[in-house]
Amino acid sequence: MMFTATIRVFPKSEVRDPQGEAVRGALRSLGIAVSDVRTGKEIIVTFEAADENAARDAVGVMGRELLANPVIELYEFTLIAGVPV
Amino acid sequence: MTRVAILRYPGTWSERDFQHALSLVPGVESDILWHEDADLAGYDAAIVPGGFTYGDYVRAGAIAKISPATRALRRFAEAGKLVLGSCNGFQILCEAGLLPGALVRNRGLEFRCDWVHMRVESDKTSWTAGLQGAVLRMPIAHGEGCWVADDETLSDVESRGQVVFRYTDERGGATPASNPNGSLANIAGVCNEGRNVVGLMPHPERCSEALLGGTDGYRVLANLAPAMAGTAPAIYR
Repeated sequence: MMFTATIRVFPKSEVRDPQGEAVRGALRSLGIAVSDVRTGKEIIVTFEAADENAARDAVGVMGRELLANPVIELYEFTLIAGVPV
Repeated sequence: MTRVAILRYPGTWSERDFQHALSLVPGVESDILWHEDADLAGYDAAIVPGGFTYGDYVRAGAIAKISPATRALRRFAEAGKLVLGSCNGFQILCEAGLLPGALVRNRGLEFRCDWVHMRVESDKTSWTAGLQGAVLRMPIAHGEGCWVADDETLSDVESRGQVVFRYTDERGGATPASNPNGSLANIAGVCNEGRNVVGLMPHPERCSEALLGGTDGYRVLANLAPAMAGTAPAIYR
């Protein structure tokens, strides 16, 4: 059956996020008093798996082996059955 | 004769520069191998050159790490053969787990294209024999060369002598101003525990003959010819 995983990858809290710092500066220049900005990315993957457990295992492999670097990043995901409309 | 394999992935751009630089080293012959069918049998050393493999998508070096060439490289390194990664090659080796730490966006977000100085912190690698304490001048060209690691890894890397190159001023002082990208402890290059895999952000292949404005890269690459170890600059300067 088809599954869709939405995987969110973001830098660990102890890793500096220079992109987030630049965005924070830009938001402040818009006059908004933001205190902190962290940036990351979202990756949406549609794939076939036998069942939900197999799908979760597959997303774990994607996260560990490619989408996140465990030295500097964390990832989390949501999984739904089917394909987004 | 020392045989060197130079790996080419989609987006590698420094492989011909490395081949040219190695052509200057007596007793060394090199081949450029396409990543999909890279057979490292019969080679003594492998080089992962700079570039922007796979457009730096996901992270610099992240997609290259699952290429067939990187799998072959892992076996090659485990067999104790010599591996050198420069710039994007360093990023690939860290992504692949062959070297400690990771390379992230430069502090300040600038792409740095410049000449830097770095001190050789360890001559106990096959690439830096005879160069202990030498201050080398090499070009850099990268946007993601800030080496980071957690406290424990940094402490291990320092205490085990795995820091091979450290950014310094021209007199060898590791000052904040001489750090071009915000790397922890001014680290410009590290090796693995086995000391046969070395990675650095600077480009030795781009400073291997006087015409290019520097020959310090040659001092590193000349170590591939055992008879030349540490003696090359006298010939090439």
